[in-house]
Amino acid sequence: MDDVPILEVKNLSKTYFQGKIPVTAVHDVTFSISKGELVAIMGPSGSGKSTLLALIGCLETTDTGTIIINGIDVTDVPEKRLPRIRREELGFVFQHFNLLSTLTALGNVELAMRFSHVPKQQRLERAEMLLKNLGMGVRLHHRPTELSGGEQQRVSIARAMANSPAVILADEPTGEVDSATRDVIIETFKEMRSHGQTIIVVTHDPVVAEHCDRVIHIIDGTLKK
Amino acid sequence: MFDIIIRSAMQRKVRTILTISGIALGIFALVVMGAMSENFNQTFDKSMSLTSDKVRVFAESGMFGAGLTNDKVSDVKRVPGVKDAYGMLMMTFDDDQFGMSGKQVIGVAPEKSAKILYPVELKSGRFLEAGDTYQTVIGTSIAGEYDLQVGSKLELHEKNFTVVGELEYTGSFYDSTAAIPLDTAQDVYNVGDTLSVILTAPEDGTDVELLAKMIELNVKGTSTLSPTELQEEAGQSLLILSVITISSALLAAIIGGLSVMNTMLMSVTERTREFGVLKAMGAETKDILMITLGESALMGIVGGVFGIGAGGVAVYLLNSWLETKGIILFTITPRLLLVAMLFAIVIGMIAGLYPAYRATRMSPMEALRHG
Repeated sequence: MDDVPILEVKNLSKTYFQGKIPVTAVHDVTFSISKGELVAIMGPSGSGKSTLLALIGCLETTDTGTIIINGIDVTDVPEKRLPRIRREELGFVFQHFNLLSTLTALGNVELAMRFSHVPKQQRLERAEMLLKNLGMGVRLHHRPTELSGGEQQRVSIARAMANSPAVILADEPTGEVDSATRDVIIETFKEMRSHGQTIIVVTHDPVVAEHCDRVIHIIDGTLKK
Repeated sequence: MFDIIIRSAMQRKVRTILTISGIALGIFALVVMGAMSENFNQTFDKSMSLTSDKVRVFAESGMFGAGLTNDKVSDVKRVPGVKDAYGMLMMTFDDDQFGMSGKQVIGVAPEKSAKILYPVELKSGRFLEAGDTYQTVIGTSIAGEYDLQVGSKLELHEKNFTVVGELEYTGSFYDSTAAIPLDTAQDVYNVGDTLSVILTAPEDGTDVELLAKMIELNVKGTSTLSPTELQEEAGQSLLILSVITISSALLAAIIGGLSVMNTMLMSVTERTREFGVLKAMGAETKDILMITLGESALMGIVGGVFGIGAGGVAVYLLNSWLETKGIILFTITPRLLLVAMLFAIVIGMIAGLYPAYRATRMSPMEALRHG
């Protein structure tokens, strides 16, 4: 682990409107995460943890505050530059895997690099290497419907790692898998951390949190001290 | 991205096939109707090119009005600038035929038939000659329909005529014409010395438009149609016909386009989450546009290819059948094929624009929450 912060969140707030009623999802949140940290964000349903992850992932716009990822203030860049930041600095792992059903495991991982204009041969080689490292070498040409939940999540993790992002954001990555697969995913994250990968995991699962370097608790949109 | 587009289209095979069929039907209609319009245009252009040097003189009351008789031919000839004038009687080929749009019989002075029909050449036999009475020179369509050769008999208005010549194929109204001696025509059709039209050949270097006005002034009871006026009048009628045929085909193609739009809207809605994932992976607006517009354009291209293919086959079959009756009604031109293909692609893409716009406007987070 490195003490250099790879992610800095300062005074971040986000308010939604449900009809005309304002709902504060995130309120004045400040924290930082160092390179190579495995951090869990925990909180009850509706506490704002997924919104916080979406804001860090540049999937939502902030109302106030700043988010600095790998030295880039992503709250201060034009909207048209955000796709590039998502490609180069961030990787996403979703609870429901969100793999493209028409593509194979290899195709799903390789797709993430297409938007970065990586040459095809290089894309295929890296995708294959990532999948093999995650124990998916014999499933390269299987479509998502032919894979178990745990296998799909491993493809999803490989996809998130494809562009060597600064931070991987995982939203309830063990929510859809059994305990054995959960353990595999935890071990995978720990292995990635050992190689200097920064990972933020939103989770309800205390077992997952137990293996993280740090846990950030959020309640009603505010960090619990 | 092409593989993603293909896979996405193939994922919903039945819907994609139905949508492509919609486009193909529209383009099929466009090709068939367009081929008919192209045929009319070509026949008209060819007919005009064969008679463009002549001023047409009619009775003041119109083509079928009374008052244009043999003696007017001499009057027209006396007008300065007129090289020669030929009286002509035009009648329908079949007695129960309505209008002059199909096959026709023309009565011409036999000794001048070669000049009147010029520049049309003979395929076989000879032109009419002085002294001919119940002889006829026929166009290729009539020869084909009735299986006639030089020496065959042709019945016109209950009289038998001997075919003495067959004209070469021109693609003009001459192909559907049987020329017989003028006196015989006036006698057989019992019209006295009435003429339908006097074709006037101007002397070299004469202003044809001016000559037409001179004839009207000098020969009482006549009106004229100069080549320019004829082209304008016929061109307008042709334009209306083209607009009617092409519009009905366009309507069919637009309905095909709407089916593409419907399919793409459904596809974009179903794939909302997928677009969210792509955006989370860093897909740019142009990538999403390429995927959605590419899919709709692909359906347009495939629909266009099938539509053009089916239209081509239909035109070939129809022409083969009509040829036995001496008619060529459809002409497929490179211009028509190009327009049909471009139209299929453009309609596919236009139909995909709104769904693509919706896909690009989605917030990545909202898209990910969808479904």
